[in-house]
Amino acid sequence: MDVLLFGMIAEKAGAATITVEATSIVELRRKLEDRIPGLERLSFAIAVDRQVVHDDRALAGTEEIAVLPPFAGG
Amino acid sequence: MSSTTHHRKRDIFVEGAIPPSFIAESIAKHATRTDIGAHEIFLGQVRSDAAVATVDRPSADDARMDDRPAVAVVTAIEYTAYRDMANEQMILIRDEAFARWPEMTCLHVHHSQGVIKTGELCFMVFASAHHRQQAREAVAYVTDQVKKRLPIFGKEILSDTTHVWKRNR
Repeated sequence: MDVLLFGMIAEKAGAATITVEATSIVELRRKLEDRIPGLERLSFAIAVDRQVVHDDRALAGTEEIAVLPPFAGG
Repeated sequence: MSSTTHHRKRDIFVEGAIPPSFIAESIAKHATRTDIGAHEIFLGQVRSDAAVATVDRPSADDARMDDRPAVAVVTAIEYTAYRDMANEQMILIRDEAFARWPEMTCLHVHHSQGVIKTGELCFMVFASAHHRQQAREAVAYVTDQVKKRLPIFGKEILSDTTHVWKRNR
């Protein structure tokens, strides 16, 4: 699945999207941390279909997934 | 008040700074709404915060954790956003505000994308109501919720050409 990256995380990855295969949020987090240097030291949230998810859940692979660094609007 | 009023503006983002003339025009547009007795407006302006110079590092996410003295200042913020999610969240916040302050007649929210220099405006929350209290409370609520819930990201560009990533407290 293509994962959308934003802000400092897109900067670290050097890309606005990254392709990762994962069947759960926990697996997704682990694979992202393997792929994006320094990600494990940052605070970030995962959004599934444009809503932040706090707990682990299964992923079908068809969802819109995004990795969100701390918000800074306003 | 009607539901069509609430959802009329689906995309809150504007490219570049919000010109002061835009705010004046927004006020003027309400002249025909004679049921309005109060306008309340919050404007966010890009501030020239002091930051730590980081000439040896192109990226310094944690520069402010350093003990080194502040020697560079913010000259601009480059805003980016997860636009679809931000606009969806804004619809929820808007509905919450109209439910809590039913005498509010209209609510307008705009946020900048792109590079906004210090001293320029990047955020506007404009509520109108029959009476001032509803407009005031709604603007305070919406401003706080936008800062908390909308996936908007800010790269603070420093006077030494490095940058740090802004985060809301």
